[in-house]
Amino acid sequence: MTVQREQLEADVLIVGAGPAGLSCALHLANLIKKHNEAIGATAANSGGPALSAENIYVLEKGREVGAHQLSGAIMNPKALAELVPDYKNSAPLDTPVTDDAALFFTQGSSMRFPLTPPPFKNKGNYVVSLNKLVKWMGGLVEAAGVNLFTQFGGASLIYDGDGIAGVITEDKGLDKYGKPKDNYTPGYELRAKVTVLAEGTRGSLTKQLVEKKNLANINPQAYGLGIKELWDVQPGRMEPGFVAHTLGWPISTDMYGGGWVYGLSNNRLSIGLVIALEYGDPTFDPHAAFQQWKTHPYLKKILDGGKLVRYGAKSLPYGGWYAMPRNYLDGGLIIGDSGSFLDSQRLKGIHLAIKSGMLAAETIFEALQAGDTSAKTLSAFPKKVEHSYIKKELWQVRNFHQAFQHGLIPGLFQSGLQFISGGRGLIDPMRNHAGHQAYKKLSEVGHARPHHREPERFKGDGKLTFDRLTDVYHSGTRHEEDQPCHLIVRDLNVCVTKCVVEYGNPCQYFCPAAVYEMAQDAVGNPKLKINAANCVHCKTCDIADPYQIIDWVVPEGGGGPNYEGM
Amino acid sequence: MKILVITEQRQGKWNNTSFETLAAAQQIAADTGSAISAAVLGKGVANFADELASKNIAEVLLVEHDLLGAYTPDGYCLALSQVMESAKPDLVLFPHTYQVRDFAPKLAAMLGKGMIADCVGFHKEGDKLVFVRQMFQGKTVADVTFQGPAPWFASFQSGAFRADLLAAHSAGKAPVNKISVQLKPEQIRTKPLELFKEVKSAVDLTQAPIIISVGRGIKAPENIPQAEALAKAMGGEMAASRPICDEGWLPMERQIGSSGQTVAPKLYLALGISGAIQHVVGMKGARTIVAINKDQNAPIFEIADYGIVGDIFEIMPALTAALEKAKT
Repeated sequence: MTVQREQLEADVLIVGAGPAGLSCALHLANLIKKHNEAIGATAANSGGPALSAENIYVLEKGREVGAHQLSGAIMNPKALAELVPDYKNSAPLDTPVTDDAALFFTQGSSMRFPLTPPPFKNKGNYVVSLNKLVKWMGGLVEAAGVNLFTQFGGASLIYDGDGIAGVITEDKGLDKYGKPKDNYTPGYELRAKVTVLAEGTRGSLTKQLVEKKNLANINPQAYGLGIKELWDVQPGRMEPGFVAHTLGWPISTDMYGGGWVYGLSNNRLSIGLVIALEYGDPTFDPHAAFQQWKTHPYLKKILDGGKLVRYGAKSLPYGGWYAMPRNYLDGGLIIGDSGSFLDSQRLKGIHLAIKSGMLAAETIFEALQAGDTSAKTLSAFPKKVEHSYIKKELWQVRNFHQAFQHGLIPGLFQSGLQFISGGRGLIDPMRNHAGHQAYKKLSEVGHARPHHREPERFKGDGKLTFDRLTDVYHSGTRHEEDQPCHLIVRDLNVCVTKCVVEYGNPCQYFCPAAVYEMAQDAVGNPKLKINAANCVHCKTCDIADPYQIIDWVVPEGGGGPNYEGM
Repeated sequence: MKILVITEQRQGKWNNTSFETLAAAQQIAADTGSAISAAVLGKGVANFADELASKNIAEVLLVEHDLLGAYTPDGYCLALSQVMESAKPDLVLFPHTYQVRDFAPKLAAMLGKGMIADCVGFHKEGDKLVFVRQMFQGKTVADVTFQGPAPWFASFQSGAFRADLLAAHSAGKAPVNKISVQLKPEQIRTKPLELFKEVKSAVDLTQAPIIISVGRGIKAPENIPQAEALAKAMGGEMAASRPICDEGWLPMERQIGSSGQTVAPKLYLALGISGAIQHVVGMKGARTIVAINKDQNAPIFEIADYGIVGDIFEIMPALTAALEKAKT
């Protein structure tokens, strides 16, 4: 069937309305406005078409802007101050950080580091809801005249020579067998002079592009999985602006991870656990670890009598400088989390995402004016990055996360050396393997062959701790049920013949939304059941599958979580 | 205070949420000493106006125009802004339907007003009328109130009020007043095409008084007929939790829960359903819930009025036989 697609043309097409994509759109719109005012240009008197914010398109797969935004979040405001100088008057900043603590958990007790180590210091930063912040940014972007299309995802790239020329959005109205329903609308073909990939962590188009055009850096990207709950607690349990980070229990010392507890205003609390997706035991269950973490006396005391209001999960790329893909090509740029703009030590990326978006906007503005959007012109982007504080911040911690590959203790030792040597440490550049290669075989971790085994899953008490389905409910995730599965497993045989024996199907453990389930077919053979409608778009499966045969692709636009207040 | 309720009919059929909203209006009117007008829009809808007149309200506003025959957001907004001018209501209430979601915010914005959408209740705080909205999928509720001068706009969620509590007119009939509105074809920018239904022959479980629902406990598609036999004996409709519809054992339109339908029947019989929150939110409004499950710790028993800890494959046929026997 040949599909007749509607075509639209823009100057700039930005995929993803997160901090990076929206900053790029807003900064570019501002530059264009200033320029047009300066020369008094209109299409009529300049002889050619003037640049206009209307020719900037932004795609967002979520139901509304901000719906898929999840972060801790502590934000360093310096990039936002450059983008929106009077941000303090209108941005939903929630609360400034007033005090911070680093805690070491053992089972049953906790120890506060007498001095908060520098990476955990947050004076001058804000505890924010990224959802609210991004929603607010979306408003500014629309007010600037940019075309923002929610409920549209980028399904595939339009390749053109050595570069890219746009995006095809996802088809709407297909049933689960891929057949058109009555409301079928083929995806749009959106062509642009510059396509900016700002898809966030493990972007599905970015993944295709990096593979196809060999854009990867010397290190593969490294990822963590962040699992978060938002709580309303009893008054007086935690000061707004107090932020605590925890190390230790229940994360064993051969793993890399830690927790956060941030006090927001109105007795609301953001709590969560980040776990590096490079652990050995394939039956490790990050969601259960998070639930267990909440039962620590320190947290139990704070949460007791409170109420869970939201749940969510998202992966984060902390490969840092040496995992940054080449971020420019003919007609294309990669920014934000998709481009590895995240500080791997402090796990902070919002300000770097914003800054990367702004630098991309400056690059694009110059390229559009010159009428040349080739890789040569767009290579100004990495140069701008090089001369900005992005490079400075990322360079100091360029070897940080790699140091923890072999556990907490050697990691602390090596990162100490890095700290005093400006990031160089013992080995520079330090290499790392892809996280999924860390899995040990079932036979090596001492688990019996789990054929037909009903795994004992975490149940929760329904007050402090919850099972995965209950948590998934609180993510507000929703998908059109009758649509093709957006989690494509390239070879289902691997699941039931190879993976079940070698690794015991880790997908049923690592997924924080209970999407993957090992069920039995009519004659009792194992089969993989994919509950795609539960998906919270964290991308963990795409990252952590041991055989790398899961492709996360965009579902019908508007599907996914509703991270209100997250 | 003057309350105006905008009712909804489409293609010769009421949207029943209209009557729930009318019931809400009657309760607000009782609390605040207000008069209710109810408007019906369309082409050739005098019989609808007549039906409204039998309810306990002050007047019916009949708004007819050729260009209101098919729903368009422009047509409805232009017509209603004119109705607003002549009726001068303080409070305008809508049923929170798909159509209302489409035009009501636009109408409110046209008139420079705010709107409190998708409310589930109201109460009075002093002189102030406070509306209740759900947040975080019903986990918490927020009290919201209006600022600034009337008219105020609000819509009520389906199921928030009971249409069967709607009071009839005490003296027979309320007057039906026609309001003529000016609409020009060029003002209407959308062109309605033929209506289509996405799911063919969809059952409307929301109207079923008795629902028999099966979950994972049914185990295999071969066992569905046992439940169907019981449903037939009870005179109820079949429904299911998600795994069953996922497997295709029952069609998707029979799915109850957060990703399916929300129902509030008189009787809900849950067979082998554990009671995950995703399912419970779709049926917790049922008047009586009966649950049969092997696992005595299944969360479904927390909300069930009657529960049997046992094997559905023993109980289903026994119940069916007993019902058949009672009938003969």
